[in-house]
Amino acid sequence: MSQQTAHIRIVTPSDSDLKKTGNSLKESDNGLQGNLSLTNITNLLQFLSLSSKKGVIELNRQEDDKKGQIWFAGEELLSAVSGTLTGIEGFADLLGWEQGTFQFRPDIPCDKKTIGLKVQHAILEAATLLDHRANEQSAASNPPTEERSHLMDLTARDSSEVLNNLLEVPGVDAVVVVGRDGFVIESAGSSNRVNTEELGASLAHAINGIEEMGSELNVNAFQDMFIEYGRAVIMCRPVGDAIAAIIPPDASKLGVIRHKTKKLLVELGESF
Amino acid sequence: MTVMRDTAVKALAKVQVQSDENGLIPEYEVLVNLLPVKLLNAFSERIMAAAPPERKAEVESGLVRAAYECGYHTGCGIITSDIFNDVVMPMVTEDEKDILRGAYAAFTAWGWAKSGIVQLKPAEKMIIRALDYYEADSGGEGLRGYMLRGLSQAFFDLAYAETYPDGMDTYVCHQTKGIEVGDPHGEFVVVKK
Repeated sequence: MSQQTAHIRIVTPSDSDLKKTGNSLKESDNGLQGNLSLTNITNLLQFLSLSSKKGVIELNRQEDDKKGQIWFAGEELLSAVSGTLTGIEGFADLLGWEQGTFQFRPDIPCDKKTIGLKVQHAILEAATLLDHRANEQSAASNPPTEERSHLMDLTARDSSEVLNNLLEVPGVDAVVVVGRDGFVIESAGSSNRVNTEELGASLAHAINGIEEMGSELNVNAFQDMFIEYGRAVIMCRPVGDAIAAIIPPDASKLGVIRHKTKKLLVELGESF
Repeated sequence: MTVMRDTAVKALAKVQVQSDENGLIPEYEVLVNLLPVKLLNAFSERIMAAAPPERKAEVESGLVRAAYECGYHTGCGIITSDIFNDVVMPMVTEDEKDILRGAYAAFTAWGWAKSGIVQLKPAEKMIIRALDYYEADSGGEGLRGYMLRGLSQAFFDLAYAETYPDGMDTYVCHQTKGIEVGDPHGEFVVVKK
């Protein structure tokens, strides 16, 4: 949390700001503002919601002058707008912003609730929506191939480097890559909750069962799995022909982890 | 369902073998013997050390070839054996790919190499990662996982080349990483010759 707060500046809006935003701002005389190159929307939203704040985060992407807003009250995400997109669609679009500025205006009421989910749940829903879109785009731009040998030759970085990057994502304790037969191909980090050495076989059995279920139900290939136990959480995702298991200490950051690990897991898939 | 490594390893590790009066074990359609790994490693180390520089590559090829010939014939015996049929074949759903998974489970169960498949493109390429293998703690210079190089090439030939015994020397295995040179694991890449 100290890392997040280090990127956020507490400011008092200038007179011109107050004039621009109208009467509602008069009820509160301070806010937070910063740049998305220093933090990101998920971190910011989590920080504010866990601090039991309420209000609106206003976002502005200078490159195309696109504007967005996220209303929340404590741990509930009330509404989101990104350009013409609203609700989860708008929120998902905002999660993809890597550049731009933000300003949190406390206690600004939400006129119309379009989401109404816990912040973590909303992040998870938005990340899922982004994944589906990415898959659809990928399917549209890449004709299906029987083999993935061309991918195997495109590995740009060693898998160990990518695993180390995954460990840098806040909330990730350990990452284990397991073959479909349960062979623990590679691992990084450690968890005091899950024995990563023994995870391979158990995970392979579980994934097999889930894939069989998907096949029986005719609902396409398995894409994601979250398992929450009393004392452990495991997030799984296919990486190439293998499975990556990410082990966080608890479920509180699953949405953020899912969002932040997405690109790295795609990259990791090139190695397996 | 695919071949579950732990199931295969546990079942195959229980296999009891009995040698005859000459120390030979008639298993898998060949005669197997049970000798310490150190013996093979000492042989490899000494023959490589004794070879003049201009012949080291030739000696190295010979060591890989010995493992390959052994692996090709023994491997055929293994994948057609009753125990393999009983333990591994019921889990096979991806044909040769699963048979290879079973083969590396057998390597692990029988102490030849704690190894498994990282990538596999049927009939074209396979990458194996090994966390322990014969020469992992041997003396010498450079990458020297001769045994697993030969075995991996042999099993890929058995899986994807012409039917035994006509498929020899279709593929070749290169070692790209080695515990013996300080890498965290050994890596072996099989491609078309």
